[in-house]
Amino acid sequence: MLALVQAGAKKRAVKGPEPFLLQLPAHFPRPVYDFTRNPLTKPGVALGRFMFYDYRLSQDSTVSCGFCHQQFAAFGHFDHALAHGVAGQQGIRSVPVLFNMIWQRAFMWDGGVNHLEIQALTPLTDHNEMAVDLKELIQKMRTDSQYKSMFKAAFGTEEITSERMFKAFTQFIATMVSAGSKYDSVMLKVPGVAFTAEENAGYTIFQEKCAACHKEPLFTDLTYRSNGLPYLPALNDIGRMKITGSTDDNLRFKVPSLRNILKSAPYMHDGRFFDIFQVFDFYDHGVKVTPTTDPLVKQGIPLSDQEKRQLYFFLNTLTDYSFLGNASLSEVRIE
Amino acid sequence: MILRIFVSYACWFLVVTMLFAGAPADPGPVPSLQLSFTHLMGQQPLVRKAVTYTNASGETFTISRFRYFLSNFSLEAVNGNVVTLPPAYFLVDDAIDSSKNIRLDSIPAGEYKSIRFLIGVDSIRNVSGAQSGALAVESGMFWTWNSGYIMAQIEGHSAAVNTPMQEFLFHCGGYKTKDGVLKYVTLPLPQPLTIAAGKQPRINLTADVEKWFLPDTVSFKKITVIMAPGVKARQVAGNYQHMFNITGISN
Repeated sequence: MLALVQAGAKKRAVKGPEPFLLQLPAHFPRPVYDFTRNPLTKPGVALGRFMFYDYRLSQDSTVSCGFCHQQFAAFGHFDHALAHGVAGQQGIRSVPVLFNMIWQRAFMWDGGVNHLEIQALTPLTDHNEMAVDLKELIQKMRTDSQYKSMFKAAFGTEEITSERMFKAFTQFIATMVSAGSKYDSVMLKVPGVAFTAEENAGYTIFQEKCAACHKEPLFTDLTYRSNGLPYLPALNDIGRMKITGSTDDNLRFKVPSLRNILKSAPYMHDGRFFDIFQVFDFYDHGVKVTPTTDPLVKQGIPLSDQEKRQLYFFLNTLTDYSFLGNASLSEVRIE
Repeated sequence: MILRIFVSYACWFLVVTMLFAGAPADPGPVPSLQLSFTHLMGQQPLVRKAVTYTNASGETFTISRFRYFLSNFSLEAVNGNVVTLPPAYFLVDDAIDSSKNIRLDSIPAGEYKSIRFLIGVDSIRNVSGAQSGALAVESGMFWTWNSGYIMAQIEGHSAAVNTPMQEFLFHCGGYKTKDGVLKYVTLPLPQPLTIAAGKQPRINLTADVEKWFLPDTVSFKKITVIMAPGVKARQVAGNYQHMFNITGISN
């Protein structure tokens, strides 16, 4: 009889929101994010996507998350060196790309945010970005019938809390997985896909000169390093030292992924380079050594014109068109 | 049809279980313990904004905000056994009277001689993502740019502060070992506390803001704004860990 009762209970549990099955790339490590706390569901992901593109989440209803995080730029901000937000405010760093976030341990250029779920808190409340008072925002959302029904679909009741909001954001962000580039097909030995001679030469250069920090398959080792980029007094950005308070961390920033790199210019934490060849030139002869400069780049990374060209062709294989054009991540119309 | 069979089986199962278990004796309210906080400045009740105080450095000031987290409660029984209470987090805010009365639930019956708690939020909850209840981040007691809870906070104004608003902001936080401000407080009870079914015991406590400025003397000229973990937050936390006092209990 007990077994029957349990079977009955199980049958009822099925009525919860429909699960969202996320395909994880076979050649990636296990994700860092703990999905048991926040299982992906279709209405949860849909709610996160809706909020991501809802400009009403900013102080003056002008800026959504998607305003700066543009899909065609791998969710970076095309052609913008520095992030900007409501009322013409401008920050001091470039908009980070958004993909493969479930493999990251800490967020932002300086790693100051320690959990994916609360990442959205920073741009939402930063005065240079969406500048909203979270308490006011939640009260506003509680009066919106569409949000009430979307929260009910995702979480079972109409209750709107910051915890639920952050979890729904996380569910959507978790679905931003980029692992479908030509590089991935080559690594997975997909029949008929191979590097060209130039791409292959570029891959060899990459492995020799870049891969120590831009580690495969994420193309970042997620550490914080000072790459010798000259300090700009106007921005006065000390990097990770602001978080740890340690002078050892002066001018250190998180190693960015090289996936989709040719689609996500401008480059560096302050977006100072608009062309990947400027980045190659910088590593070749622009490194300014300070006490925290990483030993791997202290002598610069010599690159001949031919090597730069080959490297360019390899980086081009890291563009994931299936991700940049993924219809389930695209902007939703907010009425 | 199948569902209906399941439901009927479930109902029978419940009835049978209850018959075997027998009707439970009236448990009364679940044994709980109330903590009531009164906020002081020295010997006087704290009055925000309206009353001017003087700190140990001779600087006059007013207080506009006083908030702190309490968590990780435990009780020591008369026989020396320590009972760790179920996880509970409270944000006490001088501006919200209801927040100054907190209720601890599910306490095993017994006689207790001391209470222990954490001023702040344990490190695990600082690294566990989105939280609810008292820990929901819209309280503003969470640093957005350098994740972590503000464990305790005072804000106010002083003529000694050399800025246009003359405002001081002490937001003390830091959960990592190096910059940690997490302080456990153990307070012996003046008489044994009895937790038993049907009883509603209470501990009356005071939290004295004057303690924030001593024994490691704080001057607004030297510390005006604390908005990150570090030496200043540690100094002030080293002071405020002594702010609590038990003034009485009622069994």
